[in-house]
Amino acid sequence: MSLLVPGALGLASLALPLIGLYMLRSRRRRVTVPSVMLWGNLDIPVSSAVPWQKLKMTPLLALQLGILALFILTLARPFVLIPSLLGPHTVVIVDTSGSMAMSDRFTQAIERARLITRDVSEANQVSIVDGGPVPRVVTAFATSPDDVTAALDALQVGGGAADLDAAIRLARGLATPDRPTNLVILSDGGNEELAAEPVVGADHLGFIARGDNLSVESLSVETTGGVRRLFVSVANHTPIARTVTVEVTVDGAVYDRLEIPVEANSSTPRRFPLDAVPGAVIGARLVGPGDDLGLDDQAWAVVADAADRNVEIVGEGSPFLTGLVDALPGFVPTDIDGDLLVVDRGPLPELDRPAWVIRTETPPEGITVRALARNLAVTYQRPGEPILDAVDLSEVVVAEAQVVDAPDWLPIVRSGDVPLVLLGEVDGRRVVYTTFDLVHSNLPVQVAFPILGANLLDWLAGADAGPVVTLPAGTPISLPVVTDAVPVVTDPDGIDHELAPGAALYRATTLPGVYRVRFVAPDGTSKEGPVAVRSFDPAESRAGFRTIATSAGRLADTETTAKVREWAPWVIALSLTLMTIEWWVGHQRPWRRPKEAAA
Amino acid sequence: MLLDRSTRARIERLSFTARRRVRARWAGRHPSFRKGESLDFADYREYVPGDDYRRIDHALWARLGTPLIREFEAEEELPLDVVVDLSQSMTFDRKAHTARVVAALLTYLALSGGDRVRLHALPGSGGRAWESGPGGRHLSAWPRLETWLESRPEGGVALLQPPIRALSAGPVHGSVVLVTDLLTEDWEGALDGLVGMAGGIVLHVLAPSELVPDLAGDLELVDAETGRVLAVSMSEQAMEAYRARVERFAADAAARARRAGCDYLLVPAVPTAADDTLAALAAAEVVA
Repeated sequence: MSLLVPGALGLASLALPLIGLYMLRSRRRRVTVPSVMLWGNLDIPVSSAVPWQKLKMTPLLALQLGILALFILTLARPFVLIPSLLGPHTVVIVDTSGSMAMSDRFTQAIERARLITRDVSEANQVSIVDGGPVPRVVTAFATSPDDVTAALDALQVGGGAADLDAAIRLARGLATPDRPTNLVILSDGGNEELAAEPVVGADHLGFIARGDNLSVESLSVETTGGVRRLFVSVANHTPIARTVTVEVTVDGAVYDRLEIPVEANSSTPRRFPLDAVPGAVIGARLVGPGDDLGLDDQAWAVVADAADRNVEIVGEGSPFLTGLVDALPGFVPTDIDGDLLVVDRGPLPELDRPAWVIRTETPPEGITVRALARNLAVTYQRPGEPILDAVDLSEVVVAEAQVVDAPDWLPIVRSGDVPLVLLGEVDGRRVVYTTFDLVHSNLPVQVAFPILGANLLDWLAGADAGPVVTLPAGTPISLPVVTDAVPVVTDPDGIDHELAPGAALYRATTLPGVYRVRFVAPDGTSKEGPVAVRSFDPAESRAGFRTIATSAGRLADTETTAKVREWAPWVIALSLTLMTIEWWVGHQRPWRRPKEAAA
Repeated sequence: MLLDRSTRARIERLSFTARRRVRARWAGRHPSFRKGESLDFADYREYVPGDDYRRIDHALWARLGTPLIREFEAEEELPLDVVVDLSQSMTFDRKAHTARVVAALLTYLALSGGDRVRLHALPGSGGRAWESGPGGRHLSAWPRLETWLESRPEGGVALLQPPIRALSAGPVHGSVVLVTDLLTEDWEGALDGLVGMAGGIVLHVLAPSELVPDLAGDLELVDAETGRVLAVSMSEQAMEAYRARVERFAADAAARARRAGCDYLLVPAVPTAADDTLAALAAAEVVA
């Protein structure tokens, strides 16, 4: 046994005044008797000249010394070291990517997490991070096994790829100065090397169980010349060539069955005509003997609305813009009456439609040009902004841009204090204003340009207006803003998730399948919102394994790692027991009872 | 009510026995120093003019030639003075109540035997050392005497010698019943003064807490009557010494009472004191 605060033993000096009090003579108690005649001149000492007396060890003194000793012991915080996998604070990152669904990887990971965290306590706290596509903290600084168990039970494997970099950053954010924090990564390693390896202060526990796996790699509906075709690709991740049966359903009803031969470790695409109305949900499911990764045996797609959006480009017009609109699915360039307006320089026309305005002579209402700035580089992209999702503008350089005042507009891209891209509304219509000329920047030649353009046009058109695109599981769903209505998302399992009014994103999309959004008004009426499809990430179907390089972890020296288990609760319980006995002895005076009875 | 009906019924079958001849004013049933008219023959003496010639023993006159008169024993009443100590020291642990009860017991016993009884209490009211109460010779006086006994206040400082001296100096020397705890400075002189009385009983009333004190620790004992303070450490040694002193005190008191021709009885102030006292008096043949 050791002491956390050995200095508290100095309080043992309190025993001296306690003993001193027992050595002092008590003040004589006055008792009135019928007569002192018989007490006088007794041949015995009846008083003393000194104020102290010889110490006599009484039960009360012994009990009080015992209580004092336990009190001091409590303050000294005795403890024993118990071998433990935990440090003062351990963050367990559990990979919930699709590949963890292979065989019993995830089950093993959860069991391992339970084993590691079994000694969780006030001194050995545990945080659990969901290391899926959208990392999140499931529980932080848990001190009881029940909390940890509940957090582990809440974890679920999804169909997306793990973002372990973000998960590790999230875990590092949980570190506090007063508690050394170590990470335990329970993962099959992900598909790519992490941004910073080796991971310092971490341990990686890998899970390499493998088995046979066949998957529906992709499923989409194409409309060409008014004819719809279903595109399905089946992958075989085994070393043996197989012929798989794919069952196609339209709105839940079996539409067709396809026999598709697939070579070993390869995939086979197929296209065939599809007779389905816009908005129909198409499903493709492998039938036959099951494999060791069931999540990727199904895929879904939604038949897109046939109507494309017309985009009218006015102003000087840049070939980059025309090419962009031409290349984007669901958008068609037009000269008149477009659904959307793109104004490229020149005078500002009437904004009677949603518009993307690029450095016009007169900016839209609410924007005032103060000056011009030259040679700018992008230094800020608004975090979490859906329009900038997967858009990297760090290499973009602008020759000249307007310096504007726009208090009611939202800048999402800036160079220092100079806004480059702003979002706003004019007469209730969405407007994007770009303060620089595209041709006087290198943006059009960046990889991010078509993605940014697509996102901007999607946002201008409204999230519920575009075709339903199948995206990897874990990709958030953008929600249109519907005032005075509560968004409700129905996940692939049919469970409704009610969101806060005005919520812009729904992030819990790790489960592959169809997500339907509806908006419930206060009067109980509901309006259908967008439909989103999330698919199993094909890269996860390979269920690979790699070791994450780590250093300075704790698990390697488990034998010397110890958990501090304090004795304080037991010492306090013993103190209370002794205090109860002391009270009983001091007030009930059991040894006096026989005399009283005799009297 | 100091004595209940059953106790009084038991007492009525008993009578008080005088240890010596009495000298009283009125005839009674106790042997007297005087010659009288009883049936018990006492002695002969020569006839002198004026004697009742009916008492001349003619047979003895014929044989001796000298007229002799037959004398008989006289029987007189036994005056009883009951002195009850109700001072401050008697207020502890039922002592005063016990004193009233045993005093009532002997008063009723005397009244039922036809003896004259007079009650005295100390200390007296108005700063007097003692005060005399009503007297009586028949049971008809019992309610009055009982009421007086019950109504005496408790408290104050008592001295025993003044009432004893006054009774001894009186014309009639009857018996005395002294009910007290003897916790006064003059207890020895008072008991010695009883020699002037025609016997009596000393009922020494002590509380159980005085016989076996329930005290512990270092104490300052305060005398209830005098206010004197005494520091005592209640060790086992001190308790042993105290108990020995109490035993010597009782033995000394008994010896002095007997030297004065009185009986002595230690009466613990317990609820059964009346029955215990009656039994002890019967055992000592004070009552029969």
